[in-house]
Amino acid sequence: MDKFLYLISEGMKNVWRHKMTAFTAILSLFIALFIVGILATAGENTHKVLQYFRSKYKIEVFFKQDVSNEEAVGLIHRIKKIKGVRTATIIEKEDAVRIFQDQFGEDIMEILGYNPLPTSAVVNLSRVSRDLIRVEPIIKEIQKIERVEEVRYQGNLIKKIERNYRRINDRFPYVAGVIIFIAVLIIYNTVKLSVYSRRELIRSLQMIGATRMFIKMPFIIEGLFIGLISCVLVFPALLGSIEGVNYIFSNFTPWRISLSFNPFVWVWLFSLVVVITLIGSYRAASSYLK
Amino acid sequence: MIEFHNVTYAHQKGPGVNNVNLTIKDGEFTFLIGPTGSGKTTLMRLIYFDLLPDAGYVKVNGISSKKMTKRKIPKARRSIGMVFQDYKLLSDRNLFDNIALPLHVLGYPGREIPDRVDEALELVGLEDRDHHYPDELSGGEQQRACLARAIIKEPDVLLADEPTGNLDPVASFELVRLLETIHETGTTILMASHNYNLIKGRGLPILELKDGVLRGR
Repeated sequence: MDKFLYLISEGMKNVWRHKMTAFTAILSLFIALFIVGILATAGENTHKVLQYFRSKYKIEVFFKQDVSNEEAVGLIHRIKKIKGVRTATIIEKEDAVRIFQDQFGEDIMEILGYNPLPTSAVVNLSRVSRDLIRVEPIIKEIQKIERVEEVRYQGNLIKKIERNYRRINDRFPYVAGVIIFIAVLIIYNTVKLSVYSRRELIRSLQMIGATRMFIKMPFIIEGLFIGLISCVLVFPALLGSIEGVNYIFSNFTPWRISLSFNPFVWVWLFSLVVVITLIGSYRAASSYLK
Repeated sequence: MIEFHNVTYAHQKGPGVNNVNLTIKDGEFTFLIGPTGSGKTTLMRLIYFDLLPDAGYVKVNGISSKKMTKRKIPKARRSIGMVFQDYKLLSDRNLFDNIALPLHVLGYPGREIPDRVDEALELVGLEDRDHHYPDELSGGEQQRACLARAIIKEPDVLLADEPTGNLDPVASFELVRLLETIHETGTTILMASHNYNLIKGRGLPILELKDGVLRGR
């Protein structure tokens, strides 16, 4: 037990004894972990942002002129049954006149003497799905309804948003993988440099009969400690960044999106640091002691 | 006990030792002399299994080089203390930590270590230097600290490879006196030196190495 405690204290003291090396490693690892954390937080919030944009998707369905409000209610029920449709709201002829007046400031009934505006419906799409929303099949289904005159929707915008969401989702694991790999390399090289700069210590330990594990352990602890310090520093930095982004969203953009920080990301980062520092330090120390 | 049986070792660049036969009994203090490059350090390294013979075998405290593996070397070295010409003290820790290091390696309980370090420092006359770093000490003091580190684990065999090589005559003489004191506790000592004047007239066995060949005792 005393030996074990000694090795742990040696690992921690080594961070202090080699402050500059440790500082460089902590800074590099902090940057790598920060990027991984930002990516993970972005991944966590992508769906939230997508839901916000999806809530803005709007399909306008115009029924034929002779469709009465009562008949439109039945048609709305048919539209609601289409897969991917969340809500469908009827806009009666009279509502359409009011909307026209709100938008153009003119009373169309006064100008024309009759109401030319058809009964219509505003259709909102389901937004919770993590899968891509394909809007064309929904449009086709709506168009199949014989009493529908015209369907208007933001086809290109929806396509763009959905395509970008898929791109982010597809590429996220690769980007995160590369950053994690870089983090492992940082730890590996730091410990390797650290091991190399302490050849004198290693040689002395070998001379007095230290086992390979006894020699390696402080380096592993040192790597782990550097990793944990970086991880502790990353936590407030991530929280601060998210708060900053939320401030920008709420004050300088029309978007009403509030990003959140999932504590699971921190647990995940912590576990990641433990794993990568253990692997990096162990391999670096072993490579010198071959 | 240290035994060499027809031991030959050749370095890739330069000679090593050639067909050495030698026995140093338990508790003996033996000097090994020879000019620079005669094979003294090679012979020492063979004793602490830093090198393994090309032919023949070395036996130290009953452990033979014949069946030596990398895994067994640390255990074999635990009964051997070593003092080097260049001290090999760790510059990033103070004297106390340097001297305590072998005890940590051997797994001594933490509460026993301060007393043992104090005893070792007292023996070599550095009791008031425990918080000094190696670069704050003179050459003689560093070598005595190195000696304290070697003896703290109470080794059966103490190897001193040119321990006075960097010391002035007074410090050299003091160091040999210290080794003699340690020898009185029953430790087997082998000290390599090229300074014949320092070791002559002490009534102790002297081995001579020349071009890797042992010239007798």
